[in-house]
Amino acid sequence: MKKLTIYFAALGILFSMQAAAEISVVMHPSSSVQALSADEVSRLFLGKAKSFPGGAQAVPVNQDEGNPARAKFNETVCKKNASQYKAYWSQLVFTGKGTPPKDAGDDAAVKALVAANPNMLGYIDSASVDASVKVVFKLP
Amino acid sequence: MNVTNFKKGKLSKAIALSFMLGSSAVFAGDLNFSGFLSVGGGMVEEAKNEPYLGFSEEELTFKNHVFGLQATGQVNEKVSATAQYIARSENDYGVGAEWAYLTYQATENSKIRAGRLRTPLYIYSDFLDVGFAYHWTRPPREVYYLPFNNVDGVDFYYTRALGSVDASFQAYYGSFDQEFMELDFKNRSQIGVATTLARDWWTIRAAHHQGDLTVEGAGVDQLVGGLQQLGTALKIDVSSNINAFKVDEERHTFSEVGLTIDTGRFVAAAEYIVMDGSLGMLGEHVRYFVMAGVRTGNWLFHVTTSKADDKRTRAENGLPVIAPTAKLIGAIQTTTRGNISLRDVITLGARWDVADSTAIKFQLDDVDNLDTGDQKVLSVALQTVF
Repeated sequence: MKKLTIYFAALGILFSMQAAAEISVVMHPSSSVQALSADEVSRLFLGKAKSFPGGAQAVPVNQDEGNPARAKFNETVCKKNASQYKAYWSQLVFTGKGTPPKDAGDDAAVKALVAANPNMLGYIDSASVDASVKVVFKLP
Repeated sequence: MNVTNFKKGKLSKAIALSFMLGSSAVFAGDLNFSGFLSVGGGMVEEAKNEPYLGFSEEELTFKNHVFGLQATGQVNEKVSATAQYIARSENDYGVGAEWAYLTYQATENSKIRAGRLRTPLYIYSDFLDVGFAYHWTRPPREVYYLPFNNVDGVDFYYTRALGSVDASFQAYYGSFDQEFMELDFKNRSQIGVATTLARDWWTIRAAHHQGDLTVEGAGVDQLVGGLQQLGTALKIDVSSNINAFKVDEERHTFSEVGLTIDTGRFVAAAEYIVMDGSLGMLGEHVRYFVMAGVRTGNWLFHVTTSKADDKRTRAENGLPVIAPTAKLIGAIQTTTRGNISLRDVITLGARWDVADSTAIKFQLDDVDNLDTGDQKVLSVALQTVF
């Protein structure tokens, strides 16, 4: 019985650690943008805004479907679950009123893209952040 | 491809053709494809009653399918070309370019489009055929009943943020020619505006459209001819009856207000429309729906009430009610009644998101028609986007 309790406690810690995996929204280090609000990030990723507060063109990139960072980002920042997110874009794509951010791969692929292009905006696991990118927003 | 060489009306064909030929020099490498598919089936309770949503049999039949493919190519930094081809089972899968237009991104917040566009009549007009984008198997029939969904012309689309509210404004000018129920519908000088305001979980919308409509066909000629003969025979003035019936460059208007809500847990939508065709035989159409639903996990359950409360054009008013006129009055009444609906519908439905881009839907419509009685319709659909 005691063993079982310990097992559950361990499982609990494991899950809470997974849930605590922090996500950072990152840009090119040379960008003049220092920080973005949750609302600004959400507007850029939902196509409601197309440029950064400073005026530079913004190119947001997604992680691929199935990556945990994508699900957490969409639910926390865009306030949409996977099917709501898909339905939102299907209302815009087939009218020529908007194009969703491109699916660019995983943490490493998004980081490499952002590190190479000052207009790009991506999100990655905070543990993957290094000097090649700049953090402009951290998910709560 | 120099599109300015093409005369009005040929533009959409030109764009379509350029896609078919590949126009490799211009579009190579930057063609984006997206598509949607809906497979639908249904059955009715009483086959002898009115068919509804295209279903008329008491056995479950699957014959309501739509397949759409959209191609967008970037011509240059400011100009893109889009064509959407749709194959419908109801048209024996004949493929038609329902949209084909050029987009000029004038500024970051505004674009100008020219070609064949979707008329922004309703909340769900833009993605009417993309079932995955909404909750029902298709939007409520009482409100989404107009067969004229596209317009050939130009439009201007503008978006901007007003504080924390997102506003959009769309205005267009154009025309359409369409055959429906063995009649030719011709709309000219068609103009319309549609505007939306959205914030967090709600969006409100209002739209107004008008155009000079002409309806021609053997059925119309017969009735008008009958009226003229009657006038000559009885030596009475039937010109006001003919005017009331005929639709000859008659101003028709369409007004709409709507609301959508999506909090994640709760969803709701409502739309109210008035189509004023009272200057001719179409009559005045007043229709609305109200929907509320709740989302739980991958399921969404919803209930909708809709109503069509139209007024027919009384084109027979003033004719003497005597034996020689009885048949003609009957024919006018039948026709003008056929152009309107008096229906109450309650819809229960469920949407099940089985995968990220695929939904299965179940729907029961309980239709109460003032003229033909009650009908229950069960429909199912599998809808996907890719």
